[in-house]
Amino acid sequence: MGEVEKVFISGLSEKLTEDKIITEKDLDSEFATEIIRYGGKDVMTCLQCGNCTGVCPISLKIEYKTRTTIKYCQFGMKQHTLNTRWVCATCYRCYEHCPADLNPAEVMIALRHIAIREGIIPPFVKAAAANLMQFGLTVKPDEAMIKERVKMGLPDLPQTKPGWSQVRKEVVAIIEATKYDRLLGITSKEGVE
Amino acid sequence: MTQPENTTDSKSSEKEAIGVFVCHCGTNIGGVVSCEKVAEAASKIPGVVVSKDLKYACSDLGQEEIRKAIKEKGVNRVVVASCSPRLHEFTFKKCVEGAGLNPYFMHMVNLREQCSWVHMKQPEMATAKAIDLVRMGVERSRLLTPLSPREVTVEKSALVIGGGIAGIQAALDIGEKGFKTYLVEKEPSIGGHMAQLDKTFPTGDCAICILAPKMVEVARNPNVEIMSYSEVVDIEGYVGSFKVKIRKKPRYVVEDKCVGCGVCAEKCPVKVPNDFDCGFGTRRAIYVPFPQAVPLKYTIDKENCLYFKTGKCQLCVKVCVNEAIDFKQEEQIVDLTVGTIIVATGFDAYVPLRRGVYKYWEYKNVITALELERLINAAGPTGGHLVRPSDGVEPKRIAFIQCVGSRNIKLQHKYCSRVCCMYSIKNSQIIMEHSPDAEIAIYYNDIRAFGKGFEELYHRVREDYGVEFIRGRPAKLTKDPLTENITIRAEETLLGKITEREYDMVVLAVGLTPAAGTGPIQKMLSLPVSDDGFLQESHPKLRPVETAIEGVFICGCAQSPKDIPDSVAQAKAAASGATTLMIKGKHIVEPLCATVTPELCLGCGLCTDVCPYKAIDLLDKDGQTKAVVTEALCHGCGTCAAACPQHAIAQLQFTDQQIASEISAALGMNNGAKDSAGGA
Repeated sequence: MGEVEKVFISGLSEKLTEDKIITEKDLDSEFATEIIRYGGKDVMTCLQCGNCTGVCPISLKIEYKTRTTIKYCQFGMKQHTLNTRWVCATCYRCYEHCPADLNPAEVMIALRHIAIREGIIPPFVKAAAANLMQFGLTVKPDEAMIKERVKMGLPDLPQTKPGWSQVRKEVVAIIEATKYDRLLGITSKEGVE
Repeated sequence: MTQPENTTDSKSSEKEAIGVFVCHCGTNIGGVVSCEKVAEAASKIPGVVVSKDLKYACSDLGQEEIRKAIKEKGVNRVVVASCSPRLHEFTFKKCVEGAGLNPYFMHMVNLREQCSWVHMKQPEMATAKAIDLVRMGVERSRLLTPLSPREVTVEKSALVIGGGIAGIQAALDIGEKGFKTYLVEKEPSIGGHMAQLDKTFPTGDCAICILAPKMVEVARNPNVEIMSYSEVVDIEGYVGSFKVKIRKKPRYVVEDKCVGCGVCAEKCPVKVPNDFDCGFGTRRAIYVPFPQAVPLKYTIDKENCLYFKTGKCQLCVKVCVNEAIDFKQEEQIVDLTVGTIIVATGFDAYVPLRRGVYKYWEYKNVITALELERLINAAGPTGGHLVRPSDGVEPKRIAFIQCVGSRNIKLQHKYCSRVCCMYSIKNSQIIMEHSPDAEIAIYYNDIRAFGKGFEELYHRVREDYGVEFIRGRPAKLTKDPLTENITIRAEETLLGKITEREYDMVVLAVGLTPAAGTGPIQKMLSLPVSDDGFLQESHPKLRPVETAIEGVFICGCAQSPKDIPDSVAQAKAAASGATTLMIKGKHIVEPLCATVTPELCLGCGLCTDVCPYKAIDLLDKDGQTKAVVTEALCHGCGTCAAACPQHAIAQLQFTDQQIASEISAALGMNNGAKDSAGGA
């Protein structure tokens, strides 16, 4: 919506805006099918009761709230949904409270898959994925923290469990086999010992 | 008798003349399957003398073709390849019978549901399958045996289980038509849930004011015997003669002597919470649940009576001038024989979960709608003055939360309870009439105002009273520890904004669940239950009050949640169904039952265990134990025939040989009549 003009009527002013009528060509009729293919199987079943928005811990901080996002997905308004889905913490509270036993979090995850495939990749996602491939950690300690760790006699990177480096290799193998590294434009080469 | 008629065996071993009729069913079958090809293929099967394709076999023209074939071509086995037997088996049986052939010489092959509808996109393969199906049907038709239906006498009396509005109406209708009716109610008074309600939607009639005259009418009807404070403990038998055992619980008050003066209750020193008022008010240990009770006979609540607890008191005995109190009364078992049964066991209001989001058990000011009905009822504990439970102050800001315990898949309650939208709208109207300065908000998902006058009431509460409708399911309720006010957090979905608003009281619009008392009755009668837990009718549209058990009818909320007008209408329908049977006095029982070959039966009793209708008994015959089928109880499900390790039980019209002949035909193993006859 863009502001077009200001109208003055005996001292009062009211902003007029120009909104666009949504037509068939703005809608992607295959969008819901695509979401279902990527695991958001409940997208069309939602009855829009709004319980999920009410229980969502992040809903006050986001423009497209849980229920609204599902509605946009049902409608096929792809461009409204792909940028904002990374804040969902997949805490599954929406799933826990949904009276229809639907899982909105799965729809959010499906939207991320679609966003990646469309090339909409926020930098932090790329960084996290690269860290996972290189170090086996999505959140890698920064320089200052590594210095601190060494000072305390800890290994520079936390090793979460025995056989950890083997597990990391297996994760890398899966990522490479599914070509996710190419989708994200990342590589594991630097991190391999 | 349902035994195959041996006299006709010689006739059936004569050369079969089979007529095959392939129905197009408009384009239902004909649009996919090439019916001409099927008829042509069938004509080449040995023994088939007539093979035709018909546009609509069920039409007068189609039936005429079948009759003509029987009369002119001497056809003695008819195979109709059309729709499901559920739809038209009866039609074709009648048609064949009209032409002078035993109706059980007709066999239906399902080309619609089981072929054309499921293979819409593969017409050629569907045609090939249709030919196979017809071939199987033809082979089976060779082995059909003539059967004749059996008649049972219908006792001219009815049992109505449940004394709510549905049961009362059904008993009244049957009694009016002159048949003896027993109305059994487990509570001390008839009336059911309707007696608890304040007013009824959409007209605002006072519930008890319109119910009480009906209760009196049913009590006065000479044909209706009300058995209150009684429970059905056992039902045996079948349509026409059900043997029923009823337990009359002891009231400790002689019904014939009690005149309902109430002096005993005035003197009774024990006060306990009143269940009828949802625990808000109190009643004495000797009580009637409400002033308009029918029968107006006092009942002693044994658990709370001082005499039963300590052996002392007996104040009621002292004041009763009619000497009606009898502490030595014991329960009685009454045996009845009735021809028909109507199950009107009603519903239980949903009780919110103890750990639920809406904190019903935690916050005093969160109440259910049934509790609200008692709080706004002029005959209720507060005399119709609405107060909130925490401090007895009149609440000004009231919220209703819809769909509590309905439309919730997690609770296994997928269904809509149908009445909650309207009773919340009705209750908001009553509250606004009493205190016009109140503010009411209804949190809803969808408003279902579908009945006569319902939408108008929905409009009126917005127009006249400014009741606010908020579309959104509340996510969280919190309580102010000082004021005990409740704050509701919810998304107002039409705005897309999250709202938090404070209310003095919150009413949960609880749904309807199957009554706990329905379970034992359902087991006694082996009634089918639908997905939602309510009793299943025979056909959702065309047989709405009949059940799979003949002679047993259902009505009211036992069948599904419904409002008062629907319950009354259904009760009248059930009464009409029951009286039809009783007026005829006779009922035809399908002969498709299981038969035991006594020579093969070892008396192991496996069949008695698996039979869902309790139709098989083990009886001693000449020192040997044998299974015996009660034909009127048998539904012909075939479970026993499948379970019998000795192959001693045959399911008439579905014998092992008949089914084997179809399988052989499907596998192309038999070539015509000779082989299949040999196989049998």
